[in-house]
Amino acid sequence: MITIDHVSKIKGKTPILYDVSFEARPGRVTGFLGPNGAGKTSTLRILLGLDRPQTGTALVCGRPYRKIDRPLTTVGALLDGSGAHRARTARAHLRWVAASNGLPGSRVDEVLEVVGLTSNARKRAGRFSLGMSRRLGLAAALLGDPAVLVLDEPVNGLDPAGIRWMRGFLRDSAAQGRTVLLSSHLMGELAETADDVVVIDKGRIVLHGGLADVIGAHRTLEDAFFALTGTEAGGAW
Amino acid sequence: MVSPVRAELRKLLGLPTARVALVLGTLLAPVVVLLNAPYNRRALAAGTLSDPTQLGLRELGVGLIGALVLGVVVVSSEYTSTGDDAPGARQLTATLTAVPHRLRLLAAKTVALVLVVAAQAAVTAAGTLALTQALHGEYVPLPAPERVAAAILYWVLTALLAYAITLITRTGIVPLTLLILNSTVVSVSYLLTKLTDLAAYLPDIAGAHMFLRTDGFPVELAPVTAGLVMTAWVITLLAVGAVLFHRRDA
Repeated sequence: MITIDHVSKIKGKTPILYDVSFEARPGRVTGFLGPNGAGKTSTLRILLGLDRPQTGTALVCGRPYRKIDRPLTTVGALLDGSGAHRARTARAHLRWVAASNGLPGSRVDEVLEVVGLTSNARKRAGRFSLGMSRRLGLAAALLGDPAVLVLDEPVNGLDPAGIRWMRGFLRDSAAQGRTVLLSSHLMGELAETADDVVVIDKGRIVLHGGLADVIGAHRTLEDAFFALTGTEAGGAW
Repeated sequence: MVSPVRAELRKLLGLPTARVALVLGTLLAPVVVLLNAPYNRRALAAGTLSDPTQLGLRELGVGLIGALVLGVVVVSSEYTSTGDDAPGARQLTATLTAVPHRLRLLAAKTVALVLVVAAQAAVTAAGTLALTQALHGEYVPLPAPERVAAAILYWVLTALLAYAITLITRTGIVPLTLLILNSTVVSVSYLLTKLTDLAAYLPDIAGAHMFLRTDGFPVELAPVTAGLVMTAWVITLLAVGAVLFHRRDA
């Protein structure tokens, strides 16, 4: 369960989030949708305790992320890049992440297998392609077998097979009762995966509901999105 | 607390830069002792070497560069970009999602750094002093154990100083340039002592007085006073670094 409650954030002197509130529930994939720069990543960084909001709270299972002991066993997070220092091998990176939360080294080989990186385990992260970096980031997120997944643009850089795999993985995770929150600017992709949709635009939540409700009378999620955000398809963002 | 320390040790010792710093820092001083041996032997025999009792301890100094680099990279590696695909992405994100409590993380980093540098300093000191004994034992007595301990403490405090400065700057370039130049090419701190007596209280000048005596200094700090002065510098800078790290967005 993820609860974002009246979160506002000013970066420098520019407000980037205005009174953002929404929930992501267990057993469902919640899609966090918005154009580039709308505030998706900023919201997720606040949720993960990386940045601080000016006002409001962001809770995972009722607690702020910074207060969670051994957080990898509760939340798996994937943000920009893999998080691995470029000089480290995939395995070395995962081994220190596992050690930090007291997880056994055997988990490292298991998650490498899950994301399909076993044959690249000894390769340095700096030599990884974008798609491989995303897989390595996801492997780290899965180390603690968490009940909550927070993924920022997870299909970004994946090849078609990778995207298909990710879609199945997210659906399976939700079916096993996990809370899945993923951000994306790819509407077609979200329409395939999400149960609930939260639409953010210019730092404000413009709609939050079940996928069917959000699409409403529109033909597709994409049509609904452009109608909601008042931006024109192909126009200046 | 044990798990984060173990993770930080793994992270530090897994970095190529840190490994180079560890090896070079450990070997530099003994190598210098070997290279200087012919000159020192002649000077000792002729009685022209100033204060020969300090010979081994003095030659330890060159290895300090390893401790400096270790102190810097333990922080700077968190802030270097992880790849061209995602220029803003850094290891710090992975670090803080794994250990989100800022001060617990810093405590783990500090413990890991102190363990590594203390071990390195102990090995280097033992090697350098043993070599000095073997080469010049007839002229140079073995230094008192407390002076060797003070030298090891000086290494640890120097690494912590570099670490604290990097916490503030968030990049390794400034502290590395500043500290390495100051400790090798031109000692700005030493030049300042020519201008003002207050420079004797700069961390590197004061710190060295924990285990070395220098004649002709305007302010001669007793070893314990010197240790306290350097510790005060380290604690102050670490406190500033910790407050900034706690308050800043990652």
